[in-house]
Amino acid sequence: MSTDVDDGGAAVDRPVQRTANSFLGDVWVNFKRWNLKAVRNPFVLVVSLVQPIIFLVLFTEVFGTVAGSAVNRGIPGINYETYLVPAIAIQVALAAAITSGVGLVNDIENGMFEKVLVTPMNRTAVFVGKTAAEVFRIAVQIAIILGLGVVLGAEVVTGVVGAVGIVVVGILFSLWFVAFSNSLAVLTRDQESTIIGANLLQFPLLFLSSAFLPLSALPEWIRTVARLNPVTYGVDAARSLMIGQDVMTVIEVSWFGGTLDGVVPGVAVLVGLDLALGAVAVYLLSRASSSDVK
Amino acid sequence: MPPRDTDEPADRSRDGHHRPGGQTASPAAVDVEGLELVYGDGTTAVDGVELRVPNGECFGFLGPNGAGKTTTIKVLATLLSPTSGSVRVNGFDVTTESRAIRETIGYMAQETSIDPELTAAENIRFACEAYGVPRGERDERVDELLDLVELGDVADKRAEEFSGGMKKRLDAATALVHRPPLVFLDEPTTGLDPKARNRLWEYFRQINDRGTTIFLTTQYLEEADQLCDRLAVILDGRIVADGSPSDLKRRVGGDVLDIDIEGDAAARSRAATIAREFAAFDAAMVDETDTGITVTAESVRQHGTDLLVALRDGGLTVVGFNIRAPTLDDVFLAITDGTATDDGTDADRPVPRPEGGSQ
Repeated sequence: MSTDVDDGGAAVDRPVQRTANSFLGDVWVNFKRWNLKAVRNPFVLVVSLVQPIIFLVLFTEVFGTVAGSAVNRGIPGINYETYLVPAIAIQVALAAAITSGVGLVNDIENGMFEKVLVTPMNRTAVFVGKTAAEVFRIAVQIAIILGLGVVLGAEVVTGVVGAVGIVVVGILFSLWFVAFSNSLAVLTRDQESTIIGANLLQFPLLFLSSAFLPLSALPEWIRTVARLNPVTYGVDAARSLMIGQDVMTVIEVSWFGGTLDGVVPGVAVLVGLDLALGAVAVYLLSRASSSDVK
Repeated sequence: MPPRDTDEPADRSRDGHHRPGGQTASPAAVDVEGLELVYGDGTTAVDGVELRVPNGECFGFLGPNGAGKTTTIKVLATLLSPTSGSVRVNGFDVTTESRAIRETIGYMAQETSIDPELTAAENIRFACEAYGVPRGERDERVDELLDLVELGDVADKRAEEFSGGMKKRLDAATALVHRPPLVFLDEPTTGLDPKARNRLWEYFRQINDRGTTIFLTTQYLEEADQLCDRLAVILDGRIVADGSPSDLKRRVGGDVLDIDIEGDAAARSRAATIAREFAAFDAAMVDETDTGITVTAESVRQHGTDLLVALRDGGLTVVGFNIRAPTLDDVFLAITDGTATDDGTDADRPVPRPEGGSQ
């Protein structure tokens, strides 16, 4: 025990030993905590990585031959692995984003949420740090999927730049679902509801999109739903980057010529969605952390 | 970037407040005037509470569930904004200077609040970082606090493996990382076994001896008795009594003798009459219960057995008895009996009310 601890008299008005935490410092503290928790909690990693890997392997092995010909009708000369990997990258982003809200609910349930509120940390920095940790994890997981895809026979035509682009698209895609799952967490304050609510959406979102088969091979009603489905925009943007062609199926533009015509509209839609749902989540989170009497 | 290192203590004047040095000139740790808090559903949880806790005191806030203890402590810890009233903590205003308050207090919630996925050491380290303990001091602070709460052996074990008492101790340690001059403890030992409770009391005594002001809420008179210099009793959002533990117990009027009597209500009534007329007790309070009678008197320990003999001589069969110190229930009984005569309402016992909205 250091000497000033025992200095009872002065201790009463002892100045509190505290460095002036910067905004970035607070972000860093929370970034570290959530990364540590992700490593500690295999559930998070398993759910958000293993399931998409199973999809990638099973779909290419089981449907590869059949689906390959359907794919080739639309985009000649690519194998199903190449077609599927961007979709699996988006699936990873989706699955990982669900865990964001689950983490928040756990924090609310085990008291850490309130505990953080009584610290002098900047509250925006607290959430930025948590989200940054999740985005970091998503980026790593998409990189793993891309690597695995290449091993299985997929080809990233645009090379490293395209691969980085796919990671960026995946992150932009994940943010709206991160916001969604956090909003769900604040509203339900219940782990099961959040997991079920977010997971229930996962499969319809994936299947009612251009993720697994070209829209041209799908029934009319699915095409209509796919047009409104954010997954289609994310997958088409990522896929355009993957094969170096404009394969955006739901918005036709020809502003740039080539690949960017497929990427930019998708990215624009995702950014808009991120901002809209982000605003809702920020509103709900600030209401949940405010000291106003409810 | 992590927070930068500095040896300079955070100067409170950077928050725009000059705090005079010297113990006597510094503001009270807690200064509450006319605190009122009404929840959104219209429940008045706190109704005109006045409190002043000087620096260095161990102050106990007693009351049954739903009396307004947790609501009050949450207002003091900046988690709830008061509906009206003036609340200053460590000299800072709770609504306009909440961040300065957060820097200068430790807070331990009623529900144990730790991250189960992190180890004991990591939980404390996170708190160190959150409170901006200078980086060079963190290792030492983590070790010191692990020692204090005797979790050094399990420093690298995940908190989810801990018993309830260990978790609570870890929680307490995380509230102390920045050596706050004032610590709020909301029912710190509720749900713990007596051994774990005694250990926690020992830590609280230690930090209080170092000069840390402690503000704790409790349902246990014994806890308050063990730790606190001064108490206030809150009932239905209002403070109904305050004073030292012995002051409050004096209001009960001595120790309590519970006697179980064989037979029907008539037998109990006869026993009560004998007890009331028993000369050895000065101003005894006698109540009939479902199984017998309860006698409260100063000299009950000395003359309790004589009363038992007198009952037997009166032809009654005593099937059980117990002499005990007054409990919080007895204090409440005494206090609410007092208020009953004041305002004429029926206040035989405190009516617990759901803790409105404060989880």
